[in-house]
Amino acid sequence: MTEVPPIAGTATRRAPQPAAGAVVRGGLRRGALVPYLFVGPAFVLLVVFGVVPILVAACVSVTDLDLRGLGDPATVRFIGLDNYQRLFGDAEFWSALGNTGIFIVLGVPAIIIGSLAVAIALNTSSSRFFRFLTGFYFLPAVTAVVAISLIWGYLLNGQFGLINYLLGVVGVEPVPWLSDPITAKFSVALVAVWRASGLNIVIFLAALRSILREYYEAASLDGAGEWRKIISVTVPLLRFAIFFVTVTTLIGWMQFFDEPYVLTRGGPTGATTSISLYIYQQGFQFNEFGFASAASLVLFVIIFVVTAIQLRAGRFAHE
Amino acid sequence: MGDDGSKFEQLVEDFSRIFDIRIDVDAIPWDNVNEKLTTAVASGNGPDVMQIGLSHLPAVVDAGALADLAPLTDAHPNLAPGRFLDSVAPDRLNPAGRMLSVPWISDTRVLFYRTDILTEQGLGEPPATWEQLRAYATKLAARGKGAYGYHIPQWDVPLPVQFIWQAGGDVTDASGKINLDTPEFRRAVDFYLSFYADDLVPIASDFDQTQGFVSGATPMLISGPYLATALTEQAPELAGKWAVARLPGAEASTALYAGSTLGVFSNSTKTEASIQLLSYLTDPETQLRWYALNGELPAVTAALNDPALAADPFVRVYVEQLADARPLPVSSAWDPIGQKMLSALNRIALQGANPEATLAELHQEVTDLQQ
Repeated sequence: MTEVPPIAGTATRRAPQPAAGAVVRGGLRRGALVPYLFVGPAFVLLVVFGVVPILVAACVSVTDLDLRGLGDPATVRFIGLDNYQRLFGDAEFWSALGNTGIFIVLGVPAIIIGSLAVAIALNTSSSRFFRFLTGFYFLPAVTAVVAISLIWGYLLNGQFGLINYLLGVVGVEPVPWLSDPITAKFSVALVAVWRASGLNIVIFLAALRSILREYYEAASLDGAGEWRKIISVTVPLLRFAIFFVTVTTLIGWMQFFDEPYVLTRGGPTGATTSISLYIYQQGFQFNEFGFASAASLVLFVIIFVVTAIQLRAGRFAHE
Repeated sequence: MGDDGSKFEQLVEDFSRIFDIRIDVDAIPWDNVNEKLTTAVASGNGPDVMQIGLSHLPAVVDAGALADLAPLTDAHPNLAPGRFLDSVAPDRLNPAGRMLSVPWISDTRVLFYRTDILTEQGLGEPPATWEQLRAYATKLAARGKGAYGYHIPQWDVPLPVQFIWQAGGDVTDASGKINLDTPEFRRAVDFYLSFYADDLVPIASDFDQTQGFVSGATPMLISGPYLATALTEQAPELAGKWAVARLPGAEASTALYAGSTLGVFSNSTKTEASIQLLSYLTDPETQLRWYALNGELPAVTAALNDPALAADPFVRVYVEQLADARPLPVSSAWDPIGQKMLSALNRIALQGANPEATLAELHQEVTDLQQ
């Protein structure tokens, strides 16, 4: 793919680069510093709050740091890769990793397709009612997650929940929404999808509004129906929005935490324990900071690799 | 300090006046205690005096967050070890020779039962033995669809441990190591699992304890005095239709002791004033006032035996049960092991995991975790 000769547009955009190099050789001009000044603050923030904590976690992950070590650093021992060995031998870790995978498979496509569908539907009109609907869909995104999960917890409760009550009225047996290992995964994912959709709908909506009407008019002249227009005009032109939503949603779901934490505490019997929840339990329930750091570093590597692959794939698609 | 700041301020008003020591009370919800503690230990900035739930005690002791009070007790007779309940005498909660915290309030587990439903089924007295508990539960579960005999909360780590104690065993061996590979453990597990095997308990993990008791779906369960408070507040119409009794037993009828203790932060600069406060709080009179204010039971024997407490029939049961109650092991190894034990039991009971293999795996994990 890289051998493909650059198209004209790319070539002109790259043109200033050699020129800038020449300037540096000839002596540093004030203008050359300006970009660094702009990038500087963000870079410093990234290093302080992003890179340094990761390095600290990497260091902690090869020690047996626990609460005692926090009080008296002299008791902390270097234990090499023992934490990682223990981690990879822990069935709960693999089960949490598997659960996270299932959540991603359930949630990410549902969010992307669902939000896109709703956004396209909302875009068909800009009447007051549709604007109200947009706000309605956005509401879950601005409501506290604890409140949301508490309400859903009551709705889904197998014993006195509203949903089971309503099902009972029409003669359906009560469903163990949160207490059956398989159903609970769906319930937790459902709440998360419902909560995350609002923001993505707004992103898609903004992207949809930027598509020029001319494209649709041209498509209509060519005899395209509504469905054809969505497939051949809307979706390709939303490529960047879809890409952005996919990357951010996937990262968010790899770090999936809030909903299982509040709804099920990872139960029943660990069926909804995501990898982040597992790290939280190890770190903040059992105070095994070293072990939890090892697990979080593994999660970081997974997210890093997956995101890198996506960005690479996205770039190829773009070229 | 738990979630009851204002009542505690009321309690220490007199103290502040008499000794001219100002006290800032900081109430922390139990859910956040661990995070607060971690920050306090890491930063070295903590409260002078803190209340420590027994389940958190191992972590706090391990972190070196508590000052040793042993050298100071001579001047403060209220803190003398012999004044507290035997089950939590300070020497039982502390590493050898030191006194890192003193008992503050007592909490235990008793059997809650619906007198109306039991009577209806011809069951007069509450069950006193394991056999009776199972027989009662079987009869109660046969009432029909949606009716159970008993309730096992799936998050309740102490419940199986109580069964181990009642079978005559313990979770720690002579050397102080945690060991579950004992005949008593096996007996307790079989008893625990038999309720699931015979469909006597609900299997839904979100089954609500209070709701189940109020609706009558689960007319018997083991819980703490906090459930009595919840029932009085949330279901006043149920008054007179339920009662509490000592735990049914086998070799013994030992219950969990789950109170909290008071300790002085190791970085505190006001040790003397802090000790004075501890001495004031463990005074029998203060302990009884705290019971009147907040309903939490004293940890000091003299206060616990006060006739004022014996007036309430429920409290009489709690006090009786407290005489045969023990704390979970005060060891940082316990928390993860307790969770593993519970999750093994749940896997067998709810997912049909093979009992022998699962328990063998559990024993291996217990050994590994303590290396």
